[in-house]
Amino acid sequence: MAARLRPLRRLVYIYFRCLGQQMKAILAYEADFVILMISAGIVQISGFLFIWTVFARIPNINGWTFWQVVMMYSLIFITEGVGSLFFEGTWRLSRLVYTGEFDQMLLRPVSPIVQVLAGAVGFNGLGNIITGGMLLAVSLGNVNVAWTPGRALMLVILVASAATIRVAINLGTSATAFWIRAPWSMVPFFVHQLGEFAKYPITIYSLGVQAVVVVVIPFAFISFFPTAYLFNVASWGVIGLITPLVAIYSLIMGVWAFNFGLKRYESTGH
Amino acid sequence: MRHLRKYLSLAKASLEIIFVYRAGFLVNQIGSIFYVVAMFYLWQVIFLGKAGNLGYFTWPQMKAYLLIAFLLNSLMTWFDEWQMGQDIREGRVATDLARPVDFQVKRFAEAVGPVPFELTSALCIGAIVAVAFGGIAFPSDPAHLALFVLSAALATLLKFAFIYCVSMIAFWTTGMNGIQNARFAIQSIFSGALIPLVFFPDWLRAIASVLPFQSMVSTPALTYLGTMDGPTTALMIGIQVAWAVALLLLGRLVWRSAVKAVTINGG
Repeated sequence: MAARLRPLRRLVYIYFRCLGQQMKAILAYEADFVILMISAGIVQISGFLFIWTVFARIPNINGWTFWQVVMMYSLIFITEGVGSLFFEGTWRLSRLVYTGEFDQMLLRPVSPIVQVLAGAVGFNGLGNIITGGMLLAVSLGNVNVAWTPGRALMLVILVASAATIRVAINLGTSATAFWIRAPWSMVPFFVHQLGEFAKYPITIYSLGVQAVVVVVIPFAFISFFPTAYLFNVASWGVIGLITPLVAIYSLIMGVWAFNFGLKRYESTGH
Repeated sequence: MRHLRKYLSLAKASLEIIFVYRAGFLVNQIGSIFYVVAMFYLWQVIFLGKAGNLGYFTWPQMKAYLLIAFLLNSLMTWFDEWQMGQDIREGRVATDLARPVDFQVKRFAEAVGPVPFELTSALCIGAIVAVAFGGIAFPSDPAHLALFVLSAALATLLKFAFIYCVSMIAFWTTGMNGIQNARFAIQSIFSGALIPLVFFPDWLRAIASVLPFQSMVSTPALTYLGTMDGPTTALMIGIQVAWAVALLLLGRLVWRSAVKAVTINGG
């Protein structure tokens, strides 16, 4: 078992080495780093003010309370933060394929997926994780359910699964770069925008929209179902339990899409 | 006249660039549908829970408000701080300095060029959303519509003036991505693009009223709906003009000192 895990450990090691180099490059511009962190905070405060103002007018949205919606919102931003901080590289794939720079990755003796994922760092992600984490903590404080070790463990698993789903969606959709030659990520951006629907409880949408964010692109498992589980909301909460399975499924699909695209890859200019 | 032709051709060139990248541009625009649709569903639930009337607005009025906010946000998207940062970092500003054109007017021409394209696509998207959600309120008086067009034009000019000022920061830092995100977040909340300012608590509304942002969305949207009386409308449009002029002048002032501070890659 230990011997079989060694290649995996090596990949993780290489991934963090690459990421570390990217971080150094960004930290060289200290002012930029500070600006990115502050701007991420401002973006979140603006979003929080919006939810807060809406709920100042009404007690609940379709039965969903203020803190439940804040939790969904915080999960969106924490997962987005994890995506930018550790896996920003997926957003560069289109450009790499378009310019032919991707060739370099195929020449190195490391999985191209790891190289792509570690190809960039978005430090605004750190700001998103911190402020999103604070919002999550405050909304958890308003959950009227007794905390058990099992429930606390489930919280960790749910957040990790939500982040995995987000990254898997980015990876899978960025693989479209192998088919569509464009200097920037059109399809990933388009799908990313679908995530707007996950900011609010899915019960406010029509059946069609619900089907898209639950089944087609499982954004609802990033925010809605974990929140429903943690707040112990009848009927919806139970579905939250399969979030880890959805995460594994998404990851398999994302990696499959990437590898499938990779087989089709022809370098530009040959 | 000769001057005008110069800037017109710059505007045309900028529009042509959009046509070259039309696929990506359209994907961006269509991607923004999701945001609008999510907002529509959210407000629909809120309004229907309150029998279609939230005090200040009826549901058809709110739908019109949301679409106007979307429309105004869709204009001049081609001009942003990030692009200006790129131009400065990669030294293209040096070529601009050598040209017999005014820097601010040149930027304006380039920002305005794609507007017909942006306007058309935003109107199409808006019409589809409006029909899907059962129609929107129209102005009761044609005069409101005429004033709205004026106010929307001023809002767009002001947005240009503001972004131009903010983009000057690029002469001192390379972190324009963060600056742009922060600017957009502040603008979204205080312009009334996310939520009408009347829904704000008093202290937040007081802050919004002294900032230039309300002139970017709230004023044109309320002019369209005709919820302000005559003198208030005149006052609010006057405020739009004042902010636009002030920020255009500020932009020129900052530019003059910025050029002195500029260090361009490669000498």
